[in-house]
Amino acid sequence: MPINRVTQSMLTDRSLTRLQGSLSRLADIQEHLSTGRVLNRASDNPGDAATAMRLRASLGEQQQYARNAEDGQGWLASLDSTLGSANDMVRRARELGLQGANAAMSQQSRDALAAEVDQLRAALVDNANTTYVGRPVFGGTTAGSAAFSESAGVVTFTGDTNPVNRSVADGVVVDVSVAGPTAFGADGDNVFDHLSALSTALRAGDVTAVKAGITTLTSDSDRLVVARAEVGARTNRVDLAVTRAGDLETSLTNALAEIENADLPKTMVDLKMQEVAYQASLAATARVLQPSLVDFLR
Amino acid sequence: MAGTFGSINATASALRYHQAVMEVASGNIANVATDGYARRRVVGEAVGAPAQPAMWSRFDGHGDGVRVGSVDRLVDPLLDSRARREHGTQSFLDTRAAALARVESSLGEPAGEGVSSALADVRRAWQDLANNPDSAATRTQVIATSRTLVDAVAGQRRNIEAEEGDQRASLLADVSETNTLAHDLAAANEAITAARLAGNDTSSLLDSRDQMALRLAELTGGTAVENGQGGLDVTVGGVALVTGGKAGTLSVASGVNPDGTSDGQPLGLAVTPPGGTATAVTGLRGEVGGTADLLGGTLPALRAGLEAVAQQVADTVNAAHQAGFDRTGAAGQPFFSVDPSAPGGPLVLLVTDPAQVAASAIGGGPNRDGSNGNAIAAALAGPTSSYQQFVTGLGNDVASVRRLAATQQNLTDQVDGARDQLSGVNIDEEMVTMMQSQRAYEAAARVMTTLDSVLDTLINRTGLVR
Repeated sequence: MPINRVTQSMLTDRSLTRLQGSLSRLADIQEHLSTGRVLNRASDNPGDAATAMRLRASLGEQQQYARNAEDGQGWLASLDSTLGSANDMVRRARELGLQGANAAMSQQSRDALAAEVDQLRAALVDNANTTYVGRPVFGGTTAGSAAFSESAGVVTFTGDTNPVNRSVADGVVVDVSVAGPTAFGADGDNVFDHLSALSTALRAGDVTAVKAGITTLTSDSDRLVVARAEVGARTNRVDLAVTRAGDLETSLTNALAEIENADLPKTMVDLKMQEVAYQASLAATARVLQPSLVDFLR
Repeated sequence: MAGTFGSINATASALRYHQAVMEVASGNIANVATDGYARRRVVGEAVGAPAQPAMWSRFDGHGDGVRVGSVDRLVDPLLDSRARREHGTQSFLDTRAAALARVESSLGEPAGEGVSSALADVRRAWQDLANNPDSAATRTQVIATSRTLVDAVAGQRRNIEAEEGDQRASLLADVSETNTLAHDLAAANEAITAARLAGNDTSSLLDSRDQMALRLAELTGGTAVENGQGGLDVTVGGVALVTGGKAGTLSVASGVNPDGTSDGQPLGLAVTPPGGTATAVTGLRGEVGGTADLLGGTLPALRAGLEAVAQQVADTVNAAHQAGFDRTGAAGQPFFSVDPSAPGGPLVLLVTDPAQVAASAIGGGPNRDGSNGNAIAAALAGPTSSYQQFVTGLGNDVASVRRLAATQQNLTDQVDGARDQLSGVNIDEEMVTMMQSQRAYEAAARVMTTLDSVLDTLINRTGLVR
């Protein structure tokens, strides 16, 4: 703007406006420094604010996925050890059967074997009712406290076969339970029935029935191994999901910091520059406003 | 040939004139910092031969000195009206920017403890419930976080409503200031006309007239036109508010009760011209225009936007919740309702019993399924993104109106600068004028002495031999 005539009020007004401008820039930088953030409200940069909010939401999701997966890891670990010990028991029963199948064995010894098989069976029922945080791990979503119950010497599945799902990543749902029948066999043909049959056969000294029992126990053991392998595969998926959620969390946090946080060295330099500019404008104002012709008239 | 004492009279006129010049200069210096003061300048004119001397005679003088032609007030009506327009737009934008910035900072986004963090907590609580559907703690957590969300949304709505209340109060104050000013301006117009007729100096009356017109423009964006008798006629929204010595009134026709509360109607403003009937006006600028714009569109739209997000939260959560089954296996109840007039609204939490939280997707009896919790957490992604859009939209509005206000500020400063260049007082200049007049006064006094000694020679020494 061409200036033809400068007046005192113009000088004061302009000096004030410019000092104000300089001071408000200083205040902006000070806000960035004291909050450590360049994005303090949406209007600071609407585009970045939208991104920041999206990133923050994704960050929350990833953290939740990690929590879900860690919970799933607990379930799967308890399943793994339970299935492992169940398999050990079934194998032990099978060995006892093999000993009992020896025709030379006395009935007394067979009775002792049968007693051990009964013990194993009772232990296996307890094993099949293992709970994790108060829930039977083989019971699906049952509201009851046991997956299998025994009445009149017959063990039946009392849980349900609904999956216990954990979302471990976007769109990835993992079932962290194994249904009772999958691991222990369907009602009426389950490992407990087979153990009872073996025990009965041993007590009766029926070698043929004992041999048949050994065969069924072998397939029971196979079923448990398959179930355990499946649990192992799922554990891998969940472990992977935990790692991936952790990685994503790190990269999202970085991205968020990039957008939201103040670049400290740059902000410090800006602050120093603004400070110099402010002092310069103060000095200039002091010099410009002071003199008038009056000072030089004598 | 002028008379013997002709030159003395001419010299006396010079003394008088330069006294007047010094008087005006000292007046200028005294008002160097007065708001709205336009500097004055004495325009001198030489007193020469009369255009027509007496009949059958001729004027043989050589000028009869100097006289004060006029005392000019240095203003440019064009610049003044430009300044009024820019100031009107400036205060319109400033009012909007200030109010929107207040609403925005009360949102507490993107990083604060606002609605988005409450929404995130709710989603987390539903997922935790999905992991542990039989835990009373996670069920209670769902209810507690949902209540926090309800409170957060209510808090934001209250902020917007509080801003609306403030704007209504400031609208009433602005309207009453406008009416007082219009009345004062009409009185000033009348005084100017009277002073002109009496031949008095109207400069200071004109200063205050311009000041009032500028403030009226800042308030309403009203335009002012000089009416030929020294007064300014002000038109607001196309309807005359001040005509000569008569003032009309600006009034709030609907939307605001006299006590500052809302009457539920859309905002309407009306101007009653002097002696006329009230006419509705729209599209005002200035503070009143800015406030009307906020009350008539921006703030209700923000409130509606927030309510739409609340509605979406309620709809999605309800749909998913009703598809699930609670602890006893009964179908889920609606979880939220939306009632804008409820005290803690717009969201109202309907499920307060942790056992009624429908975590399970499998009906028919109690079970420990949690998949409905996952479904609800996933469904909340929709409202979360709507809310993000709401915040970003507001952020864009604030940034845009702030940019406009900053640009307008440059323009306003420039026009103010141009006015100041013309009308402002420069002390150096006034000192120079003073010195000039002082010297001229001294010279005139010296002429007087010389004339005196000439007359002394004539009167006292004529005919004396010795």
